[in-house]
Amino acid sequence: MLRYIAKKVRTAGFESRTSLGRAFCLRLVLLALVLAGVVAVSAGGQAGAVAGVQTQGQVTQTLSTRVVAYQIEARLDPLKKTVDATETLTYHNLTGRPLDTFPFHLYLNAFQPTSSFMREVRLYGTRGTGPESGWDTKHFGAIEVKSFEVVGQGDFTKRLELIQPDDHNLDDHTVFQVKLAKPVAPGADIVFKIAFHDQLPEVLERTGYKRNFFLVAQWFPKVGVWWHEAWNCHQFHALTEFFADFGTFDVKATVPENYIVGSTGDLVSTVLNRDHTKTVTWHAEDIHDFAWTASPDYKLIEDAWTGSAGTVQIYLLLSPGHESSVRRYIDVIKGTLDRFDKWYGPYPYDRITLVDPPQGALNAGGMEYPTLITCGTTWWMPKGLLGVELVTEHEFGHQYWYGMVATNEFEEAWMDEGINSYTEAKVMESLYGKGTSMLNLWGMRADDADSLRMEYLAAADTDPISRFAWLFMNMNAYAAITYGKTATVLLTLEGIIGEETMRRAMHTYFMRYRFTHPTGTDFIKTIEEVSGQKLDWFFQQALYGTSVLDYEVLDIRSDRLDWFFEHPPNPKKGVTTYRDTVLLHRKGDFIMPVEVLIKFDNGEQATERWDGRDRWARFSYDKKATVVSAEVDPARAVRLDKDFFNNSRTEGDDRRATRKLSVYWMFAVQFMAQVLAWLA
Amino acid sequence: MAGLASWGSEVSNADKSPWVAGLGLVWRRQSVLWWIFVVNFVLAAMGAVTFTRQVSPELDYSLESQALVHGFNPFVLSNLLMEQHGAAAAGMASACLVLVFFIFMLFVEGGLLEVYRLDRSLTKGEFFEASGRFFWRFVRLLIMLLIALIPVGIVYGLTTRASHLLDERSPSPVPGIWVLGIGLLVVLFLGQAVRLWFDMAQIRAVAEDERAMRRALGRAFKITFGNLGSLYWIYLRISIVAWLVMAALLWIWTRLVRPEWIGVSFLLTQLMLLDWLGTRLWQRASETLWYQRRFAEVVKEPEAAPTPPLTPVGEPETADFNI
Repeated sequence: MLRYIAKKVRTAGFESRTSLGRAFCLRLVLLALVLAGVVAVSAGGQAGAVAGVQTQGQVTQTLSTRVVAYQIEARLDPLKKTVDATETLTYHNLTGRPLDTFPFHLYLNAFQPTSSFMREVRLYGTRGTGPESGWDTKHFGAIEVKSFEVVGQGDFTKRLELIQPDDHNLDDHTVFQVKLAKPVAPGADIVFKIAFHDQLPEVLERTGYKRNFFLVAQWFPKVGVWWHEAWNCHQFHALTEFFADFGTFDVKATVPENYIVGSTGDLVSTVLNRDHTKTVTWHAEDIHDFAWTASPDYKLIEDAWTGSAGTVQIYLLLSPGHESSVRRYIDVIKGTLDRFDKWYGPYPYDRITLVDPPQGALNAGGMEYPTLITCGTTWWMPKGLLGVELVTEHEFGHQYWYGMVATNEFEEAWMDEGINSYTEAKVMESLYGKGTSMLNLWGMRADDADSLRMEYLAAADTDPISRFAWLFMNMNAYAAITYGKTATVLLTLEGIIGEETMRRAMHTYFMRYRFTHPTGTDFIKTIEEVSGQKLDWFFQQALYGTSVLDYEVLDIRSDRLDWFFEHPPNPKKGVTTYRDTVLLHRKGDFIMPVEVLIKFDNGEQATERWDGRDRWARFSYDKKATVVSAEVDPARAVRLDKDFFNNSRTEGDDRRATRKLSVYWMFAVQFMAQVLAWLA
Repeated sequence: MAGLASWGSEVSNADKSPWVAGLGLVWRRQSVLWWIFVVNFVLAAMGAVTFTRQVSPELDYSLESQALVHGFNPFVLSNLLMEQHGAAAAGMASACLVLVFFIFMLFVEGGLLEVYRLDRSLTKGEFFEASGRFFWRFVRLLIMLLIALIPVGIVYGLTTRASHLLDERSPSPVPGIWVLGIGLLVVLFLGQAVRLWFDMAQIRAVAEDERAMRRALGRAFKITFGNLGSLYWIYLRISIVAWLVMAALLWIWTRLVRPEWIGVSFLLTQLMLLDWLGTRLWQRASETLWYQRRFAEVVKEPEAAPTPPLTPVGEPETADFNI
């Protein structure tokens, strides 16, 4: 999910792609299947769906440990804004123990006034919705389980139990559990057959409808994750996202025949029905969620990019009026695919679908689902404001830091949003240049990393990064810490271990933990292993603490050594000896070793290293020169520093910046005064 | 300058349309423009001094300030303001100075219109006498203006509501966008029409020395809306000139001026403000001329008393400065 405001499911495991010959064979098979798919689509007589193929067969190794297999048949009613569906879920018990209880998420029930989600929104807001906002019935959403059968054990519809593991709010219906009559043995499968009915809300929290645009997400009963010897199935909160097991999805959706559709996974077939609808079938593997979108107004733009794992088809579902953003979308997605492929690892799927929500549906934008992301633009978006690029890059990054490295977003949101924000800053800088990777407009320039740092500074000390997402002080604190602080912490870490080492560490982390559910400890261990450094001192403060980092140069001075003479000679440059002193102060509680650069008026420089353990440090030099300036962290590697202005001190003043700001300030005041005087 | 002088002369302006003649009037009586500009400038400078006092001790001695000298990164500025707690107080002080300028403008409006009505320089006494004479009348007009703007606000509310409803109910977003766009144009037009109406009320109050503001407003209503086409065309043309000049200066500022050229930036920003103020006075002058030509007796200068030889013709003897 973008801050505030960011496949062909491969048949073969991507390990097999490392063999060129095998890859070539696979591509031939793939080509044949693509052709077959095109014929199938053509036979269906409907070109409205995003092209794609089922690529079953030749499977020798799966990418993930497939715990779940969902088969869903759904029917969209565009007038009532509802979805009626049946779901068959096969759960493979790989827990090593018998299981007799299964919890399920019912995310859409969050969109009700008594839910914990809405209570929290009312209290402190969420993305796109401020606190104190009133309840609007158009945002009502619900998912009702019509029937629930456990194959071999009978009908359990009346035995479903709503539970509230996080806050005991009995009015929250976002999780239910079922207790089986007979436990499922280790290694065995259990099949659930569920009929359900969705009432979609007007777009809210990345799901719902707007006019005839539909983003159908978090829409089916989804089983929890057996993790760390227990079920992990949290309620849906205002600040939380998702967590699920990998598996396969076979989804059929029936929609009006004039609707253009896009989804997670690959298109298998499109069949026209007699009632002017069509049924679209998709298949997806090694993913942990499934979302789809439909609208008659989409324009499909296709492109392709080739990386180390083969060709990736790019599908852009463009809303009317956004034609000016097509090139921007395509350029940034290709650039991002390229950087991720080179830096972190291959993108193993063969497609990525970009959804461009229509006017008025911006709340559906800036969200990630496996192989499908929602972006966002407007018809007037100026080129120098890189909003389109930033959102698209960010949401694509989640394909790695949520899609494949599937961390628990309820409990360790920073591992998804924060790490992704860090890579966003790196990729944006690489693509759009240092100093201009977010803004390059009307003489104003700014980096994405600058914006993330300011985001962090907005609530620098409220919560530790490692806090469960729904326990943050409020939405601002969650955003500041999870996105801004984590990214700034990792940029600072990069300053400690080096950019290249950091990149290798991230690559190792991705390759090692893709298609698994790693924890923060796994991430830290990987960084320490690759860098060869013990970084506990850093992570304890940065991830688990709330202390703020702020160093300042408190004073610089040059005293003549002969100051006590009654009639000292006139000072002469290069002759008179001075005692130069620099006084540093650690204002914040965050302890971090820093470099200090001291410059003298004879051109000499001294670089000192201060461990920062004490509250202050003084450096003294006896020189035939006076000190000109002292600067803590001259390379600006310690991005966590709260105030860059007090990092340095010069002996003489330079009033140019003050003058410039005065000019701007005056202009603003004069202009506002004249505007108000229009009333006089 | 000879050309400019003749273009600005009363004789040559007599046959010109009010909006062209209005420009000549502003040119001839430019001291009014400069005085208002200076007051605007001085008040803002006071605000800027308050601000610079807050930031200067840190900014002038920090190497980080170079990021502001050699470019403009809004996040660097945010970092500065975030750490300078006095910046909020400076902002409040500047907001008060904005209010002071507003009251000043309300006060001098009477004197300003008197200058344009008589088309001659006024002595300080005459100017402030006229300003004071009309101040409370114009305060009453301001209150009525705020009341008159309420329906405009309601139209704005209805426009956004209608656009929102269309956005909700229509199968396409386009009608909502069109309604909003057209609605905003209507609101802009209504706002300008109301302003024109009150401009005319002020001009009439000065021309007729009208004390009853409701009567002046009623009469001005008939004048304005009975001649809306010609009056609005004067107002709009000058507004367009203001926006075009502003856009051109902004373009130069953002495209051609290097971040380090602080003096040039200062000059350009002041030119923008002069454009803004000058065109507003141009509107007032043009409206005054339009009113005089249509509704007022031709204002004649009183028979000039025998004047000492060194006093310029048409300029009354003054003991101090003229406005």
